[in-house]
Formats: sequence, structure tokens, C-alpha cells
Amino acid sequence: MSDRKLLLSSSPHVFSPVDTPRIMLSVVIALMPATAYGIYLYGLPALGVVVTSIAAAVVSEFLFRKLIKASMTVGDFSAVVSGLLLALILPPSTPLWMVALGAIFAIVIAKEFFGGLGANPFNPALIGRAFLLMSFPAAITSWSMPKGLGLPADALSAATPLNLLKQGNALADVAKYFGASDTGAFYRQLFMGYRSGSIGESSILLVLLGGLFLLGIGVIQWIVPVSVLASTFVFSWLLGMDPVLGLLTGGIVFGAFFMATDYATRPLTPYGQAIFGIGIGLITVLIRKFGGYPEGVTYAILIMNILTPFLNKLRVKKYGFVPPPKPAKPSKEATK
Amino acid sequence: MCDKYLCTFRLDHTQKLMVIWGGFVIIFQHIASNAKKLVFSAESALIFKGDLSTMSIRTFKGGAHPPERKDRSGGKPIERLTSVPQVVIPVNQHFGAPIQPLVKVGEFVKAGQKIADAEGRMTVPLHASVAGVVKKIEPRMQSNNTEGLCIVIEPKDPPEGESAQDFMPPLDPFACTKEEALARIRAAGIVGMGGAGFPAHVKLAPTKPISYVIANAAECEPYLTIDERTLIETPEKIVDGVAIVMKTVNAPEGVIAIEENKKHAIPYVQKAIDQSPQVKAGMKIRIQELKTKYPQGGEKMLITAITGKQVPSGGLPMDVGCVVSNVGTLCAIVDAFREGKPLIERGFTVTGGACKTPKNLVAPIGTLISDLVKANVVETDEESLAKVIFGGPMMGVAVPSYEIPVQKNTSGVLLMSKEEAMQYEEETCIRCGRCIRACPTAVSPALLAIAIESGNYAEAEKIGLLDCIECGSCSFVCPAHRHLVQRFRVGKQVLRALKQKEAQNVR
Repeated sequence: MSDRKLLLSSSPHVFSPVDTPRIMLSVVIALMPATAYGIYLYGLPALGVVVTSIAAAVVSEFLFRKLIKASMTVGDFSAVVSGLLLALILPPSTPLWMVALGAIFAIVIAKEFFGGLGANPFNPALIGRAFLLMSFPAAITSWSMPKGLGLPADALSAATPLNLLKQGNALADVAKYFGASDTGAFYRQLFMGYRSGSIGESSILLVLLGGLFLLGIGVIQWIVPVSVLASTFVFSWLLGMDPVLGLLTGGIVFGAFFMATDYATRPLTPYGQAIFGIGIGLITVLIRKFGGYPEGVTYAILIMNILTPFLNKLRVKKYGFVPPPKPAKPSKEATK
Repeated sequence: MCDKYLCTFRLDHTQKLMVIWGGFVIIFQHIASNAKKLVFSAESALIFKGDLSTMSIRTFKGGAHPPERKDRSGGKPIERLTSVPQVVIPVNQHFGAPIQPLVKVGEFVKAGQKIADAEGRMTVPLHASVAGVVKKIEPRMQSNNTEGLCIVIEPKDPPEGESAQDFMPPLDPFACTKEEALARIRAAGIVGMGGAGFPAHVKLAPTKPISYVIANAAECEPYLTIDERTLIETPEKIVDGVAIVMKTVNAPEGVIAIEENKKHAIPYVQKAIDQSPQVKAGMKIRIQELKTKYPQGGEKMLITAITGKQVPSGGLPMDVGCVVSNVGTLCAIVDAFREGKPLIERGFTVTGGACKTPKNLVAPIGTLISDLVKANVVETDEESLAKVIFGGPMMGVAVPSYEIPVQKNTSGVLLMSKEEAMQYEEETCIRCGRCIRACPTAVSPALLAIAIESGNYAEAEKIGLLDCIECGSCSFVCPAHRHLVQRFRVGKQVLRALKQKEAQNVR
């Protein structure tokens, strides 16, 4: 044995190959079908929004961490994910400078100010969208019609199904507006993704595909998406709204799989996650029914984000849990 | 407005969509139930055969799947090492009160002669593992990375006309009293050989009724194969050992727990059970197959997998009517009765990416790994060697050199190559929750780490800091390579110190 130094470290000495960049990349991969479809539907403007948002997010994270002389974390791809998520929940016609502003706000204010990855209390992409929605309400609520659908000549006057319903239109009329012969065909059309809306939320099918991919490879767990969708369905029904339409319109499926499951801002414990999901569904439905906005997923998730630290207290019972009223015994080391 | 909705509620299409939706929910649940729970179908088939308790594959909640890498040494028969240039025997290899050397430098000792002992319940004596002359009694590096008093013996032939061995007379375990049996187990210096070194005579004198004796052959640590080889080569010894322990603790049922990845060893063990005179006389011993998952061989996880009960927090296995013994310990108990041989040698696996000759060895306690390397019993790839670990890769201790002796609790020595010995920078927690799902004791490692980092030890204790078994599953799965177990180890010490201080203040 030479005098070469051996490595010393605390156990364990082997590690899982799944690391942070890999997780973030898998989210990007899961979002690819919906992104590609969005770009196909809305053309160049949508591509511009996606590219601008990602670039602004990555560059602002890079510059900010350089400025505060913190370790460089751009390589973990989390800024790419935030940027892409923000792009996918914006209307395709959003002016690019607004997109960049939203991405910078999301990364710098909502994420890095709180300590960067894992420490942000609110979902950065949703904060970015909420910021834009409040600053430029007109721009963020003007929707383009997807390519080929082109019913109204003036693209900026298009509305989402939820917009039209909020205005008191009958479902049959809304279906007709989108060129569907009856409501059944309209449901199918919504599921397949042929309607106006944000870039990434158009096709429920592709969003589900990405979500199931993440579930399948274990990046996200089923509790949050299932509880969000189930509670949206149930509360819609209880409040006398069409529950199926409630799931098919707006960004609820996208939010359930990609926004509510954001690691840093959802609770860590299973019980906490269930309540978190149910809360998101409830608030979404309340906003849709009684609120000023036609869609409420953004605010529902942000509001439940506030509760995350408290929901984390709902831990599962530890192994061998004994109810507390018991004099403290001298702890005996368990043997293996 | 809701009327409008209801009017347009076309049931046929809605139903279609609900069917699609229901399909997705079912898919979620299947994925969520961890795919392998589909063993369900195999289990239900066995229910019809009425054979569920013995044949179903059982496990616990949580855990991880580290790479096994058992194939390197798995097929290699156990080799017996006879001559060593010296042995360095640490005096205190057990969990409990320290003992004192009984021999002096220069004295001749026989193999099996008692060389250290002390009064007290939590003590076990120590025996010379070879016949020879005591060269030194001095502090040396031990396999737990601390210096401790060691007795160095150089092998030498005994004086003319004397035997080189000093074993006890054999004792029939099924004819002696419980007290005699426990005295013999203590006299043989037997401790738990799975890792903790808990005195066997204390474990086998439970103060509560015992319903299960569990032979721990799960061997969930990656790389290690010594238990697997023991199952194949001396299964009758293991069955005999289970019978002896069952008789000693008066238990009605014995279970030999084997992980699925050692299925090929099961026929050998089953044959040994069928041929055992004690089983023929009516003792109930069976094999329990377990899912291959780390830490299946952890005492608490093993008990939960087999009995469905949980060892209460701060309690012992006997609180749920179980006694768990490693197969190595059982073989040592058999030797102590049948041959009168104290625990002076043990089997262990030498393997790893930097080990050119992975093998399973039986060597005297106190054999230095450096001597094995010098004698070419173990060939190493010096170029790629990066880490030497005593024990398995999940719970083993990294040591600074080869000059460390094999001890009573050494189940393996790993020579890890540069590629295997992964070193990662610790990154920030992304709160993915993987550690929470992997933790077999459900103590929410991520939240525990936050509590410890913020110095909130009251909260840490509430979350379950003292229930952590330090298995390393959380650190293994962490995508940010957080040093979770390390924090918990330090945290436990701080918490115990705080509690002690508090107790003094109250007084």
C-alpha cells in the first residue's frame, strides 16, 4: 500500500444516479409535446415567447448569481424549467418584452431573492404570470385563435372557452364559436386541443401525456395531481357547473401536473399534499364561479403555496410511533 | 347559469370522457402502487392454496434500491485462511461496558484462550484467535475509525506436548438448562455479527415472551455475499442455530428470512430444515422470502416484514415478541455448543471494483487487511483504489488504510475503485421528497434536516431523530447529494448531550 490518500466519508458510499439536473431535464422533456403543439398551433409568435422566456430566465439567473457572488446554479436547468413553464402559461400573442420582464421577475424576485432553488415560497412561473396579469391585464388576456380555426378575423378579439362562459354564453354557443357541431364534439375538441388559450394548455391529451411520463419515471407523485383534478371535478359539480368542462377548460390539468407539483412550493408530506391539492381545486372553482377572472388556477396554486409550510406539519406517523403520554425512557440503542 | 350548463349536459359524451378520465385515474394508481405491488396477483393465487404465510414475498414500507453488485463474489465458495503473520485483536468489540486484558506481553496463548474479560451484564469475554505469543498491548486503529486497545499476537507453535487449542468441552444445547446455555454463549464471546456487536447472551435472555426467532439472512447491503454463501454451504448449521435459539428463548416459531435475490439458496436451506432432527421432533422452522430492497435486513424492517408489527419507538424487538439474529451469529452459537469453540474467526466478503480477487473468506479475528494484501490472498488494483470500507457500502465505515483488523462485526471489506467511490458536492435541497418516501422509519429526513440545521432539537426529536436507524436510504436517493445521515448522526449526539444536560439541571 502506497502512501496515497484514501477517501474518507460518512456512509452511504454509493448514490442514486438521479440528480437535480436530470430531474429538471425530465420535466423539460415532459413539456416538449405540449410546447411543440403550442408552437404548431400559434406559429412563430409562440416560438418567440418560449425562446424569450427561457433565455431571459437563464440569463437573469446567471447575472444575478454573478452579481451576488453566489455559486453558479444555471447548470441545474431549473431556470430553463421556470422559463419554459412561464412561456407555456402565457397567451401566444404576448409582446416579447413583457415575456422577458415576467421571466426576470419570476427568477430574480420570486426565486433568487428567497435563496434560489428549493427556497422559494411561491412558484416562480406563476408569480411571473400573476405579475404580468396585474401589470398588463389587456395583453395577458388577449388570445389568438389557433391556426386553421380562424373564426374571428381579428385574432386579438378571440376568447377562451372560460371567457365566453364567464360572459354568460351558453355552452352550445361556445361550442359553435369553436366550430364544434355539438357539446360532445366540443369536449373532444377541448381534450385533443383545438381551441384558444395559453401556449401550453391547449391540448389536454399532450399535457396528460407529459404528466403521466413524469409520474411513470417517478419525478412527480400522484397525490397532488389527482387531488387537484378530483377536487376541481367535485367542487365544480357541487357549485352547479359542468364538472367535465371544468377539467377540460383553462389550465387546471396543466397546473395540476406541472405547477402544483413544483417541488419547492408543494408540501413534502403525503397528507399535506392531499390537502394542498384539494385546496387548489376548491379555490380554482370558487374563482371561476364567483371571482372576477374567468380562470383561477394561477391564484389558487399561489394561495395554497402560502400554506405549504403549515401543511408540512402533517407528517405521517413515524415507524414504531408510541403516543406521547409516557415518561421519557432512557433511549436504548437499537441493534441491527 | 347553471341551468344552461345542465341543459347542455350531453350524457353520452360526458360518459365517454368520464371513462377516459377513470382510465387515467386507474393508471395513476397503478404507477403509484409502485408497480411491484402487482405481486398482489401472485399472493392472491397463494391464498387459494392456503399457503400465504409461508410463501408470499414480504417487505416493509419505504427503502431504496442501490446497485447490488453481488455477482462478483456471489459464486465464490468460502475460503478458509489458516496462517496469518500476526493478529491485532481489539479488546472492546462489543456494545456495552469495556473489558480489561488478562494477559501480559510475552505470554504464550492458545487459540481460544480467554485474553480479556470483565464483570458486568453488558460485557463479553475476548479470546485469542491464534496460538502464539502476545507481542504488544497498545492502542491501534480499529474498524470504526477510532483508536482502541488491541492485543497483538504473533502465531507460534505451542511448547512441546501442549495443544495449540483451548476450547471448551462441547455442550448439548437441547439437554442443558437455559442458564447453562446463556453462560456458554457469553463464555464464547458471541456478539451480534451483523454490525452492532450487541452481546448475544443479553439478546437471548429477553424479559418478555417471544413468539418468533428470526434468522437474518436478508443481506440487504450491496456487494456482500458472505451470508449467501453460508446459506448454501452450511445451511444445517443455520437451522441448528435457529433451533438452539428457539429452545433458549422458548419461542414456538423460527423464521429464516431470505431476500429474493438469494432464491437459489432456498432449496439448500429447505433441505436442511427437512433433515433437521429438531424439526423432525416437532419444532416449527420455515423460510420467509423477502423482497430485495434496502434496508430489508435492518432488524426493525425485518420484523415488520415478517410479523406486520412495528417495534415501538425506543423499544427492543422483544417488545413485539421477536429475537433477530444474523446467520453468522447463529453459526458462532452452534460452534460454541457443538465444538466448544469461542468466536475467534468469522466469514466476510472482500470485494469491490479495485479488488481483482473478490472472494468470501473465513479468517481469524484480528487479521489485518494489509497482511491479506501482502500475502496476495487479496489482490488489489492500486491504480484505481480510492476507498476502503469496512462493512457494506450503505452503512460501512471508510477507513484511512489497510492496517485495520477484521473484527467480530466485520461482514465485508470493500475496495472501491475511483468510479465506484462517488464523491459529490452537496447542493441545496430541492424538496423533492424522495428521502421521505425512502425512509423506512418514516421520519421525514428533509424536515428533520431543516430542524437540525436551524438548531431546533425539540422539533427534531418530535419528528423522530432518535428513531433514525442511519441506514442511509435518504442520502442514497437524494438528487442534491445532501449529507443527511451525517447530519442525523451528529444531531443525535447533540440531542443526547442536550437531554443529559437538561436531566442534570432538573436534578
